[in-house]
Amino acid sequence: MSASQAAQHVVSRLMRESLVDKKVIAGTEAPVRAILPKLNVIQIGGLSIMDRGREAVLPLLDEIVANQDEHTQVVGVGPGVRARHIFAVGLDLGLPTGALATLAAKSSAQNAYMVACLLADSGFVYLEAPFIVQLLPAMLAAARGAVFNGIPPYDLWEHPPAIGKIPPHGSDAGSYLVGEVFGARSVILLKDVDGLYTTDPKTNPGAEFIAEIGAAELIARKLSTLPIEPTVLELLVRAKLAKSIRIVNGLVPGNLTRALNGEPIGTLIHT
Amino acid sequence: MPDPVQNAMLTELGQRLASGSLSDATLQRATESTPNLAILPWVNVVKIGGQSIMDRGRSAVMPLIDEIVANLPHHKMILGTGAGTRARHVYSLAIDLGMPVGVLTVLGTAVAWQNAQMLQYLLAKHGIAFLEPEGFPSLPHYLMERGAVICQGMPPYKLWEENPEIGRIPPQRTDTGCFLIAEVFGARKMIYAKDEDGLYTADPKKDPAARHIPRISVQELLRQDLNDLVVERAVLELMLTARNISEIQFVNGLKPGQLTAALDGEPVGTIIYNAEIRRGDVV
Repeated sequence: MSASQAAQHVVSRLMRESLVDKKVIAGTEAPVRAILPKLNVIQIGGLSIMDRGREAVLPLLDEIVANQDEHTQVVGVGPGVRARHIFAVGLDLGLPTGALATLAAKSSAQNAYMVACLLADSGFVYLEAPFIVQLLPAMLAAARGAVFNGIPPYDLWEHPPAIGKIPPHGSDAGSYLVGEVFGARSVILLKDVDGLYTTDPKTNPGAEFIAEIGAAELIARKLSTLPIEPTVLELLVRAKLAKSIRIVNGLVPGNLTRALNGEPIGTLIHT
Repeated sequence: MPDPVQNAMLTELGQRLASGSLSDATLQRATESTPNLAILPWVNVVKIGGQSIMDRGRSAVMPLIDEIVANLPHHKMILGTGAGTRARHVYSLAIDLGMPVGVLTVLGTAVAWQNAQMLQYLLAKHGIAFLEPEGFPSLPHYLMERGAVICQGMPPYKLWEENPEIGRIPPQRTDTGCFLIAEVFGARKMIYAKDEDGLYTADPKKDPAARHIPRISVQELLRQDLNDLVVERAVLELMLTARNISEIQFVNGLKPGQLTAALDGEPVGTIIYNAEIRRGDVV
């Protein structure tokens, strides 16, 4: 190789290193700083909450507003049944997972936009992904809260899943990742069940409630259905800052407030 | 809860999707047998290395540009760029400052973007555009009209990047971003142009006893659990679940003719293939 062809390097600890080398990677372990340690990430389920309309959504938003003085909240929203519909049409047309992810993200954007409209007079703003990156800290200093699209901006770059074609990173994963990257105080997922059960309580009356469990243990138990995306469990195992999530029933008034106050409501899944 | 959609659903699978849990493995399995559409079956995704090509400047980049231009009439190409030494610097600095992996991804993306923009200045006179992820719906048009487009290689995960298993470096970087472009479009080829002749048993820059591997299955490569690799580990893991891309090829972008040979379907460099691709029918 000629001298003129040698790479021009910027001096750094990782200079000339292979970032794929296991020893180099292990050498980068170091403490992470929480960017917004007072933040609480609240996720509103699509199918479980939003699709029920006024009756389910408005009391919940009232509760978010009632907690505004005590707790900094950002609200992620799921897509619900419209994503299921476009999955059905898209799968029938032969679309790959990345295309399905791009399409479904518009359904959750619709829901997030509606929630932002309903919270607007309480000072909440709607932030798309690029604005979460650039503006969230500033917005929280100026505004009183923010609403974002729960589905992460993976779009065409969504991973093909191990089984089937449904995008593995939905609004649970997206909301959790916002909590993790900002070092949030809590990540609360609002659903229409009281938390985690050994089987689906909607179809099986013998289902047993699980109040607290480790993510690795839950993965090992291989439950046939979960109230959250399985991807979140894998993310929790590798958590640096957001080391737990709480699943609570968002249809029961007071549950969100109790979760925000750190009370043991619903199910806690931890690292 | 009333369900206004269920009865209007197109298919039996659609009815199950409307009401079932998406985490239910039997429902996920039911989506396996749906058809697979290859969106751009004639496109080739070519990744231009950051540290391996771009950081070397004119002597490495210009001959490769000439080779790309010579191939424009024959092969349609999505050219993705790597990041390189400036990313290593900003990762070091950001880790020292306690930044989380999502912030490192935002920072690394800017470096891949710089390289893509430089590449576009060099190819601009041939009418080649640089598209950001938001511009991807226009990509087929540019490919049909001009034969190639440039994009930055990082996937657009930004703050939503997942933590790595070990350490603090974003695990899904430009090798992964380019692979996923190839996978979602059902591309003809995924070619990585770097500064080695492909895969070796160890880093040939550091170990003179390293042996070249011309062809290996991803299953075998993962089983060997090598300390260092020619490609991000995330690519190997995604190969196992990919439906469209069954092999990826690594060529030496510093050796004139290697990229052309790979585009023409010759087995230069190293090919990593999936021995158990679960493809199904392509429509």
